[in-house]
Amino acid sequence: MVGIGFRRDFAEALLSSDQIRPDFIEFAPENWMDIGGYWKKQLRKAVEKYPVLCHGLSLSIGSPEPLNLDFLRYVKSFLAEYQVQLYSEHLSYSKCDNAHMYDLLPIPFRKDAVVHIAERIQQVQDYLQRPLVMEIVSYYTPVAAEMSEVDFIREIVKASGCQLLLDVNNIYVNAFNHGYNAQEFISQLPLEQVAYIHMAGHEQVAPDLIIDTHGQPIIDPVYDLFEWTIQRLQPVPVLLERDYNIPQLAELNGELQRLKNICHSHWQQQYETVG
Amino acid sequence: MKLSADTYKIQQDFSHFIRTGKAVRIPGVNPAAMAHYRRLVYNVVKDALETGYPIAFANLPRRKWDSMVYNFFSTHACTAYQVWKLPLDFYTCAVENSWEERYDIPYLPDLLSFEWAEMELYNMEDVAPPAYLPEGDWLLDTIVFNPEQRLLHLKYPVHQETCRRKLLQQAGAYFVLVYRMPDTGDIHFTGLSPWLAFVVEQLLAGITLTDILEYAPQLNIVVNNNLQGDTIAFLQHLQEKQVVLGFIKH
Repeated sequence: MVGIGFRRDFAEALLSSDQIRPDFIEFAPENWMDIGGYWKKQLRKAVEKYPVLCHGLSLSIGSPEPLNLDFLRYVKSFLAEYQVQLYSEHLSYSKCDNAHMYDLLPIPFRKDAVVHIAERIQQVQDYLQRPLVMEIVSYYTPVAAEMSEVDFIREIVKASGCQLLLDVNNIYVNAFNHGYNAQEFISQLPLEQVAYIHMAGHEQVAPDLIIDTHGQPIIDPVYDLFEWTIQRLQPVPVLLERDYNIPQLAELNGELQRLKNICHSHWQQQYETVG
Repeated sequence: MKLSADTYKIQQDFSHFIRTGKAVRIPGVNPAAMAHYRRLVYNVVKDALETGYPIAFANLPRRKWDSMVYNFFSTHACTAYQVWKLPLDFYTCAVENSWEERYDIPYLPDLLSFEWAEMELYNMEDVAPPAYLPEGDWLLDTIVFNPEQRLLHLKYPVHQETCRRKLLQQAGAYFVLVYRMPDTGDIHFTGLSPWLAFVVEQLLAGITLTDILEYAPQLNIVVNNNLQGDTIAFLQHLQEKQVVLGFIKH
């Protein structure tokens, strides 16, 4: 199952043409909560046409301050209203001192942060009555780390019981930025907990730095890493993310198709077994 | 909270840099890479405000606009977890800090209020009107309005003028009804005279037109057949525009 992020830029085409044919759509609840008017109508049509997965932006699981329970209430009712099959979020923080910052900031890889975050993930899972699928985010600098990134993630998964969203492009970006081997990193993850995959493009802004922009096509080495990765996983949904520099839809559909072909070639047997 | 004071402080320092751009030293952090976070976050904020306030952005002096955006993000704790509501935080910050005086833009609160009303109405949740009849008595029945509207009271005509000099010359009392079209979701607005603004305000409160006309002499308004006829004609015009939806019989 290969889907695409539901964006206003190409919503009309998704709803009324065959130019692009995802198996599901994904959107951020924050971008659609409390919305009415024209876009509410479009969202309703989209939800009627496609299965929906949601990928949150504002939970800020790594924030020092308490979780926003009003926000969680909104999320819970939103997920129920739109029959959302999977809800994922980011292993990062975007709020500090009660100020939102609208991006995914890197959490210090530390034991106390593991305990803090695992407890919060459990709190969210208990409240939402569903597993939380946490994305391993791209990051551009470590912050006062006292343990390795992979140990940090493994311990959070173990302590919280959460699932993982494996953004293959993020791993590629992080491996480049921080000088490690992407395949080795992925091999050390609890892969049985991976419930969702993201794929996207990025932009190299300096000889030693890649920024995860979602504004470019996926590059071949990321496709290669994706193909290597899925051979180690059970079939899970795969999402193509494209947030900026939206190309012609034929180009997006080409990326979708390439991802579907790779999934099909390696997961066909499992598909048939399940079928 | 299970976070140590040290980790908490590190997160605070990092986010303080993101908001202010003021250098901070954090163990293990690459300053050049950290600057990219600042750039990325600040671009989100700038884009949201430029999109939310296109008239202000296009017409206020760039130096003042840039200073407002910087002061806003570095000093105001943004409460909106939805980016489209970030302009409301900006408007709140401007009013709380009397930016119209600080930046010498007397019409700034009006301009932000008008543009935020358009943005809010465009995005706001659908509001169901009460049950109503499509036809009724303009004088005696309760008139039902499209609930997706805002009646604004402005000191400057920011809805029809962008030139600073002209705006300052035309200071007065202006009333603007901003509304969302039920079928398309598009936002429209119409300027109102003080009398029609008063009528709309009272009708929205559920007062009948007859009661409003009976009260009018207390406002030193001369009620005659012309005033009554013109007022009803205006309400009929609003009905054509789907701002007035119908009637509730008494």
